[in-house]
Amino acid sequence: MGDFEPTIIAFVCNWCTYTAADLAGTSRLGYPSNVRLIRVMCTGMVDPKYVIKAFLEGADAVLVSGCHPGDCHYINGNYKARRRIKLLKEILPQFGFDDERLRLTWIGASDGIQFADTIREMVTQIKNLGPNEAKAKMVI
Amino acid sequence: MSIRLGFYVCHCGINIAGKVRVEEVAAFARKLKNVVIARDYKFMCSDPGQEMIEKDIKELNLNRVVVASCSPRLHEKTFQGACRRAGLNPYFFQMASVREQVSWVTKDEDEATRKAKTLVAAAINRVNYHESLYDREAVVHPDIMVVGAGITGMQAALDIGNGGHKVYLVEKSTTIGGHMLQFDKTFPTLDCAACIGTPKMVEVAQNPNIELLSYSEVKEVSGFIGNYTVTIRRKPRYVTEGLCTGCGECANVCPVSVPSEWDEGLINRAAIYRSFPQAVPITFCIDKKDRAPCAIACPAGINVQGYVQFISQGKYLEAIRLIMERLPLPGVLGRVCPHPCESQCRRLEVDEAIAIRDLKRFAADHVNLKELDPPEIEERAEKVAVVGSGPSGLTVAYYLRLKGYQVTIFEALDVLGGMLRVGIPDFRLPQKVLDQEIDYILRLGVKTRTGVRFGSGLTFNDLKKEGFSAVFLGIGAHDSLDMHIPGEKDTQGVMDAVRFLREVNLGDKTCPGSRVVVIGGGNVAIDAARVAKRLGAREATVVYRRSEQEMPAYPEEVKGAKEEDIRFSFLTAPVKIIEKAGKVDGFECIRTELGPPDASGRRRPVPVAGSEFVIPCDAVIPAIGQKIHASWANREPDLKWSPRNTLKITPRTMQTSIPYVFAGGDAVTGPATVIEAVAAGHKAVEAIHRYINGEDLDLYAKQLEAREQPGRDWQKIPDELFREYRACQQHLDVKISATSFDEVELGFSESEAQREARRCLNCGLCCECMECVRVCEAKAIDHSMKEEVVEVKVGSIIIATGYDTMDPTPMKQFGYGKYPNVFTALEFERLSNATGPTGGEILIRDKNLKFTRIPKSVAILHCIGSRDVNYHKYCSRVCCMYALKYAHLIHEKLGHDAQVFNFYIDMRCFGKGYEEFYERCQKEGTNFIRGKVAEITDQAIRAEEQGKLIAIAEDTLLGRNIRLPVDMVILCNAIQARSNAQEVGRIFGVNQGADGFFLEEHPKLGPLNTATDGVFIAGVCQGPKDIPDSVCQASGAAVKALALATLGKVDIAPIVSWIDPDICAGCQTCIGLCPYSAIEYNARMGISVVNEALCKGCGSCAGFCPSGAAQVKHFNQKQIFAELEGIIDSLNSVGI
Repeated sequence: MGDFEPTIIAFVCNWCTYTAADLAGTSRLGYPSNVRLIRVMCTGMVDPKYVIKAFLEGADAVLVSGCHPGDCHYINGNYKARRRIKLLKEILPQFGFDDERLRLTWIGASDGIQFADTIREMVTQIKNLGPNEAKAKMVI
Repeated sequence: MSIRLGFYVCHCGINIAGKVRVEEVAAFARKLKNVVIARDYKFMCSDPGQEMIEKDIKELNLNRVVVASCSPRLHEKTFQGACRRAGLNPYFFQMASVREQVSWVTKDEDEATRKAKTLVAAAINRVNYHESLYDREAVVHPDIMVVGAGITGMQAALDIGNGGHKVYLVEKSTTIGGHMLQFDKTFPTLDCAACIGTPKMVEVAQNPNIELLSYSEVKEVSGFIGNYTVTIRRKPRYVTEGLCTGCGECANVCPVSVPSEWDEGLINRAAIYRSFPQAVPITFCIDKKDRAPCAIACPAGINVQGYVQFISQGKYLEAIRLIMERLPLPGVLGRVCPHPCESQCRRLEVDEAIAIRDLKRFAADHVNLKELDPPEIEERAEKVAVVGSGPSGLTVAYYLRLKGYQVTIFEALDVLGGMLRVGIPDFRLPQKVLDQEIDYILRLGVKTRTGVRFGSGLTFNDLKKEGFSAVFLGIGAHDSLDMHIPGEKDTQGVMDAVRFLREVNLGDKTCPGSRVVVIGGGNVAIDAARVAKRLGAREATVVYRRSEQEMPAYPEEVKGAKEEDIRFSFLTAPVKIIEKAGKVDGFECIRTELGPPDASGRRRPVPVAGSEFVIPCDAVIPAIGQKIHASWANREPDLKWSPRNTLKITPRTMQTSIPYVFAGGDAVTGPATVIEAVAAGHKAVEAIHRYINGEDLDLYAKQLEAREQPGRDWQKIPDELFREYRACQQHLDVKISATSFDEVELGFSESEAQREARRCLNCGLCCECMECVRVCEAKAIDHSMKEEVVEVKVGSIIIATGYDTMDPTPMKQFGYGKYPNVFTALEFERLSNATGPTGGEILIRDKNLKFTRIPKSVAILHCIGSRDVNYHKYCSRVCCMYALKYAHLIHEKLGHDAQVFNFYIDMRCFGKGYEEFYERCQKEGTNFIRGKVAEITDQAIRAEEQGKLIAIAEDTLLGRNIRLPVDMVILCNAIQARSNAQEVGRIFGVNQGADGFFLEEHPKLGPLNTATDGVFIAGVCQGPKDIPDSVCQASGAAVKALALATLGKVDIAPIVSWIDPDICAGCQTCIGLCPYSAIEYNARMGISVVNEALCKGCGSCAGFCPSGAAQVKHFNQKQIFAELEGIIDSLNSVGI
C-alpha cells in the first residue's frame, strides 16, 4: 500500500469552505495534493448522484464541506446536506462502498487551517483504507 | 455550432510558474477536445492579458474561454468582463484555480503540475456545457439603513444624509454616541470626546434626511440587494420624545437605584434615566422589567415593590396611598396577612425574603388616616347595597364609592368589620387600628345600617324596592361546624370558637373556665386558646387529630401560643364530652395514627383502638371549621348554592344566579384569608361597575380568561450581594402579653424598617410608584406605552454595531473584582470624565467602595486578554495609545509627582501623530517597563508595600523580576466582538471570522463588503481600530451604499434555479425546502415554478429533485458531471 495515493473529490460550498481553501492558499499552508475541489454554491446543492458517480468513476473518497450549522449563506442548505449525506452513508455499503469514504465537514470561511488539516487527515485515513475497488470489480 | 475553446494559463509572476510548469499545462490543454488555442502569459489579469483574450475571441471566433490562474473569487468577474467586451456571453467562461489550490499549497513541482492539469481538464470539460445567461437588473431602493449609532454609524449616516439620501439610523441604546462618548479625551490630539462627539450627535439629530430610531433593534431582514425589507422593534421608553425636556425632576424622585451601565457600574442611576446629560435624544427612559413576583403573588394586586421602595425612602404617606389603590386596610393586613408575596420574594435566593407584611404595618402605623383628606368623587346616581362589613364588603364599598356610586353597607351586628372585628383577637389586631381604617372608608360618604341581618328583616325584594341597582353579599362564614360527638349540645361549658371569640371581641370578658380544651388545628383554635388564657384560664390545651406538621395554623401563631404556655395534644381525636350535672367535667379522646392521604392530600388520622383517655377540663371550645349562616336560604329560592353550601358564583365576575346579586369572600370560598376576600371584592367591583353600565358580563369573563400570564423577565440578581439578616419585630415580653390583650408585636424602628426595605432587589426595576408622573411638568411620562414594530424598505444596509470590552474577572491573577482599586480602561475613562461618578476627579476607593482619596502611583497593564492564547490572540490595537493618554491625564490631573508605570510588551504607536505623542509622554516622566504583569497582589512583604497593590512582573530589559507597589491599577482589557454578534450576524447574513468580528469579503481589498451583497460593515465591528480608522471606514461604507443608491439599479447574477416544465412531475417536494419561499405550485399545469426575483440560487431544490427537473443555472447536473469527468479522465492519463 506504500505507493497508493488516494484521489479525493471534494464538493465545497462557495461561501465557506471554498473561501477557507483560498485562505489556506494565501496563508501558504501545505497540504497533500490528492484533493480536487468542485465548487458548488451550497452543500444543499450536492445531489447524491454526484457522490455516487464520483465513487463509480473510481474516486477513493468524497468530501462534502460547507458552512457551520446556523451560518449557511442560504440559511439552512447545510442542514439539508447533513440529512442527505447521513442517508447516503447508510446506503453506500449497498453499492459496495465503505461508508468511511464519504465525509461531511463544516469548515467556515476563516478556517483555512482546519481545511488543510482535514485534507491531511483524510489522505492518511484513506491510505489506510486502501483503493476503491469499483474500477476493478464493477461492470458499469 | 461547434465549440471553439480558448485556454489561458497565468504565470502570476512566479506565484504559479514557480511551482507549476505552465508551458506544459498549456501544451496539455491544447490536446483536449474543442480547444482551439492554448496560451500561457505572465499576468492574465493585466490589460495586455485581457486584451489577449479579447483579441482571440474576435479573431479566432472563440465561443468558450477557460483561464487557469488564481481563485475565481478574486478574478472571475475580471475575465467575464473581458469576454463581455469582446462580445462573448460572460457565462461561457470558466476558471480553474491553480494558485490558491495548487502552486501555493503543493511542495512538489511534479505533483503540482499534475494537479493543475487535472483541474484544467475539469474546467475545460465543464465549460462545454455552459449556456448563455443574462444578468438581471433590479431597481435599488434609494433609502439606506445604518445599524449602530456610535461614531462610525453617525459618520456614515451623516455622509449619506448629506449625499441627499434618506437614512434610517437604528440604535439599540437610549442615546447615540456609542463608546466614544464614554471617553474623557481622545488620543493623540487630546480632544475631549464629548467636544468632538456631541456636535456630530447634534448634526445627526438635526439632519432632515436622517430618521433616528433610538432604543430600537433590528428583528428581521428579508429581500436582496437593492430591495431589503427590515423589521425593527422599537422598545417603549415610557416617556414621549418631543415632550420630555430632559429636566431630570423624575430621576430625583425615583426610589429605585440600579448600577449605571454608562458609568460602568461605578455609580447608580434611577429606574428613569438618561445616560449622560448630553444624550441625544434628550428624552429620559424608564427601565422596566416584568411586574415583580411579589406584586404578582398578591391576590389583591397591590404594587408591593412600589410601597417597599417608598418605605425605604421614608415616604410613608406615599406608601400608604399606593397600598390603598388596591387595599383600604393596610394596618389590618400588615398584621394578619399570611403574606404570599414573601414566599415569592427573590431575596430568598440571597438570604431571606423581605419582611413585606411587617413593612406594610410599619407604614400604616406612621400615617394618621384622620389627617388624610378623602379624594374628590364624581357622583353617580346608582345605588349599590353591600351586605356584610367584613373585608370583602369593605373593599367593595370603598372602591365602588370611589367610582361615584351611592353605597350603603348593611351589617347584622352593631359594629362594622366582620371577622376582622369579631374573629381576630385584639392582641393580634387592636380595635383602634380597625376603627381608623373603617372610619376613613366611611368618610368617603359610605352609608351604613347596623343591626340589620340579611335573610331575617332584609330581603332582595326590600333592596330592589329601595332602588339598589346591585347587591354584594359579603356575609362571611360565621357559623361553626359541629363535631357530632355526644355531649356537644346542651352541656354548659361548651361554646364553639367563633361564637366565643365574637363575644369576647364584643366586650364580654367572662373567663370560659379554668381548664379549657380547644379542639382544632387552625388559627381560630389557636386564637381561642390564647384568648382563654388571657381571660384567666389556668390551663389551655389544643387538641388536634393530626400532627404538628399538618396544622393549618400559621407557624408564628403556634410559636406565640407555645410561648404563652398553651399545651398541645397532637394525634388526638375527640370521642365525647363527659358531663356531670349538666356541666363539662372532662373530655374523652382517642389517640390516632396517620394513615394514607385523604382528598385534601393530608394523611388521614386513624384512631388507635383501645387508646382512649380523658383530659380533665371544665370548658370545651370546638374550632373545627366554619360554615355560612344560611337558615334564610329557602326564603330566597332564586339564589343558588354550591354543593359545599357556599354561594354559587361565576368565577371572575363573582355574579350569583341572580344577575344583580354578586358575592365574595368566605361566603363563596368557605373560610379563607382576608387578602383573598379583598381580591374577591375587587373582582366584584369591576363586574358590578360593568353590570350597572349595561356591559356583557359573559364577554368580560371571557376577556379575563384570555388575558396573558404575567411575564417573568426580572432584574438579574447581582452576583456580589452582601448577605443581610431579615429585620425582626420586637414583641411584648411573654409575661406581660400572656395576660393582657395588648398587641404582642411591636413593629419596627424607623431605621430598621428603612434598612429592611432597602434589601429589596427591585425585581421589576421600575416599581410603577408613579412619582415621576407626579413631578413631570411636561406630562411626558406614559407608563402604558407598548413596544412598536416598524417595517421599512431600504436598498442597502451598513452594520456599525461596535464592540464590547472583555470582562477581566476570570483572570484572577489581576484581582479585578477582588481589589477595589483595579479598574478597567472604560472605568478609568468614566472616572476621568467630568460627567462621571467622581465629576472628573481621579480618585481611588476605600473598602466600602466609596471614592475617597487621590492615588499617588498608578500602574497601567497592557495586553490584558489581548495577544494571549488563553483569551484573544489578536492585538486590540488601541490600548497602547490610550495607556499613554491615561499616563498623560494622570500627570495633568494629579500633578507631575504622580508616578505612572506602563507595563508593556510592545509599544504600538503606528498612526499619525502617535509616535510624537509617545515621545511627549516619555518626556512627561511616565515610566515604561517592558514586561507583562504576572500578578497583582495586596500581600505586602516590605513596609513600603503595606496598603498598596503590588504589581509583580519581569522587567525583561533588565532581566529581573520586580515588585512595584502602586495605589491604583488600570487594566487595558481587550476589545472583543459584541456578545450577540452571532445573532446579529445571522439576521443580516453576515458571518463572524475566527476572532469573532464580522467577516469581510477580503481582508486587504474588501474590508467593508460582506458575503451578502448590499450589506456592508464598518468600524470596530469589523475589527479593533481607533477613531480615525473607524470614521474612515464609515465614510467608505457610506460611499458604497450611496453608489448603489445613486445608480438606482444593480445587476443580479442569473445563478438561480429553473424547473424544467417538461420533466417536473409536480411532486412539490422543492416548495417546502426553499428557504426563501421562491417556488410556487402552478395547479393548472401541475408543475412547480421558480420565482426568479426571490430565488437566490442555493440549489436546495435541485439537490432533492427526484426527477432532476429543478437545476440551478450555471451549476446544473450536466456541468457538475462534466467537471467530475474532466477530473477523473485526466487523472487516468496524467496520474495523481
